[in-house]
Amino acid sequence: MKAMHDVIAIADPIMMKAKTIITTVRNTTTPLRAEKRIHPFWVIVHKEIADHVRSWRFNILVVLIALTCFGSLYTSLTALTRGSKPDAVTDAFLFLKLFTLTDGTLPSFTVFISFLGPLLGISLGFDAINSEQNRGTLSRLVAQPIHRDYVINAKFTAALIVISVMLFTLSLLVTGIGLIRIGIPPTPEEFWRILCFVLISICYVAFWLNLSILFSIRFRQPATAALCGIAVWLFFTIFYQLLVNMIAKNMEPSIMATSEQVIRYQQFIFNLLRIVPSQLFNEATTTLLMPSVRSLSPLTMEQVYGTIPSPLPLGQSLLVVWPQLTGLAAATVLCFALSYASFMRREIRSR
Amino acid sequence: MKQFFMPLRTILLGILSLAGTMLSSHVAGKGTGVTLYTPYTKISVPPGQSIDYTIDIINNTSLVKNVSVSLNNLPKGWSYDLKSGGWAIGELSVLPGEKKNVNLHIDVPYKVDKGIYHFTVAAPGIALLPLTVIVSEQGTYRTEFTTKQPNMEGNANAAFTFSAELKNRTGEKQLYALRAQTPPGWNIAFKVSGRQVTSVQAEPNHTESVTIEVDPPDAIEAGTYKIPVAAVTSSTSANLDLEVVVTGSYSLEMTTPSGLLSTAITVGDTRRIALQLRNNGSSPLKNIKLSHAAPTNWDVVFEPAQVEVIEPGKTAEVYATIQADDKAIAGDYVTNLEAKTPEVSSKVSLRVSVQTSMVYGWLGVLIMGGAVGTVYSLFRKYGRR
Repeated sequence: MKAMHDVIAIADPIMMKAKTIITTVRNTTTPLRAEKRIHPFWVIVHKEIADHVRSWRFNILVVLIALTCFGSLYTSLTALTRGSKPDAVTDAFLFLKLFTLTDGTLPSFTVFISFLGPLLGISLGFDAINSEQNRGTLSRLVAQPIHRDYVINAKFTAALIVISVMLFTLSLLVTGIGLIRIGIPPTPEEFWRILCFVLISICYVAFWLNLSILFSIRFRQPATAALCGIAVWLFFTIFYQLLVNMIAKNMEPSIMATSEQVIRYQQFIFNLLRIVPSQLFNEATTTLLMPSVRSLSPLTMEQVYGTIPSPLPLGQSLLVVWPQLTGLAAATVLCFALSYASFMRREIRSR
Repeated sequence: MKQFFMPLRTILLGILSLAGTMLSSHVAGKGTGVTLYTPYTKISVPPGQSIDYTIDIINNTSLVKNVSVSLNNLPKGWSYDLKSGGWAIGELSVLPGEKKNVNLHIDVPYKVDKGIYHFTVAAPGIALLPLTVIVSEQGTYRTEFTTKQPNMEGNANAAFTFSAELKNRTGEKQLYALRAQTPPGWNIAFKVSGRQVTSVQAEPNHTESVTIEVDPPDAIEAGTYKIPVAAVTSSTSANLDLEVVVTGSYSLEMTTPSGLLSTAITVGDTRRIALQLRNNGSSPLKNIKLSHAAPTNWDVVFEPAQVEVIEPGKTAEVYATIQADDKAIAGDYVTNLEAKTPEVSSKVSLRVSVQTSMVYGWLGVLIMGGAVGTVYSLFRKYGRR
């Protein structure tokens, strides 16, 4: 029995996962073995995390993202030490420049996260359901005395935990290395801003994770789901901008237009762009990591007159980007709700 | 016949010349045929004055006359020079029947007694011209420091400018040190031809214009102040008493009771701020008008809009209600509030932190709550299958 178990484990890791979960679930439901009682839901989560961490796919992505992040840290450090212009407002938040400043050779940390975050989310979720179904493990898993929604919830939770740990680790590494190189500790305000940035990043990656889980439920082939996710990502990253540019060109007000018309036009174009999650993410992180940003809309001279160029407190910065945060979080939750409903209502017995 | 006529001609000439001498004898004295003449033989002058005589030397003879001219019996301390044709001269040659001019310049010293002084212009052996100078008053040796307007009135913030004249009525060049005795806090500046100086040099019998600028302290009480000013050298000095009538000072200070000059407003909301107006001057301030310079579409209402009067040392309370624009973006703004009287004004710059309304924040929370609620209802519907 043991040997056979090993053979199965070597032959098919997913099968083995199902086995482990089944045995653990059985154990936990047995009152005799109560000393190590873990909730079945967390058993699935642990197993999923272990799978992610051991998979080549995830490790390659981690190395890729870590390398780009350290590259961007290097460029921001060289830009910092080269000496930017002394500016009283931005110098107060020197530490945050680690995440936003660049000397032009590589994009900054935030840009990398906004670019590679979707890739991470898609890669962690595109085969969540359909590969298990194709291998027949899903029906065995659901046959166990666990609630059916544990499967999808656990898959989502596990991926989210992996993403959170990774982003936190990266940000803290950047903070730590920056601390060593700059020698100036971050102020509490800066620390909270960095924390908010990490949370928003997690939310942003979670959106793409949920989207790819949704695709993995909708499409039977993992490749199709992955392609769909990447297609959406590419569309939003490249083609949507082109589309908005075309609309903007056609709608451009004449030179004779009043300033109100121009502002209304600009506002409309901005709102069109804000359909894209990466735009929401960029606006939110820019405002949080650059406290001198006061508004994300075009400003009139009237609104600028009499202002003191001072940084906003964190609460106010959050209020400025609150719509963006709401949109991002709502989109994430919506994707999850769709995939949840879709998973719960589907037939999973057939292969 | 010729022998007979010769003595007759001589006698006739002698008579003629005798008659000519007789005619001019009351001026020239000796009848040598040369006359010294000036019309002003008796002059009355004050001390320090210069006299210019023009003396004619008239040659009535038929011969060229060499006349040496000198001055006799000139009183002690008086000086003179004799000039003709631009030259200082001692002797002059006059053609027969002609006359020459000699200019005699006499300086009467300042230090001279009142009285009558005689001296003589003499051409030794030829003619004498006695002259008389009456010194009309007792002479002095002193400096005069005067101003036409020694009294001025104004408020404590004003600067008083006196124009004074310093006359050196001594015989020598003088270097005057200029001094003023003032209570502490006053500023005095002496100016000569636009430059600030502490001493001034004056040639004898010359007048220097000195401008005296007096700046009283700002917080001085109303009243009359005497400022003695002196121009002093080792040998002479002159005093001048200036009088400054200060009507009082004007000083207004606007602040908040706590001294805090920053506040926070939610967008579109109002904030009432207490302001304190303090009269730090020594005169009452009247008709204090309040004005503001705020960002566009902001409004500031003062209550009361105008303060009638604040007595010296007293304060008045004013409330300003600042309303931020509905569309103001979050951040810090400057709002200037100013209290103004015709005399003085005071300004405070308030730093107003505009905060975004929480309404949209709660709206966002509501939307997110709705999304989470949807998921929860999905959990409830499908979760336990």
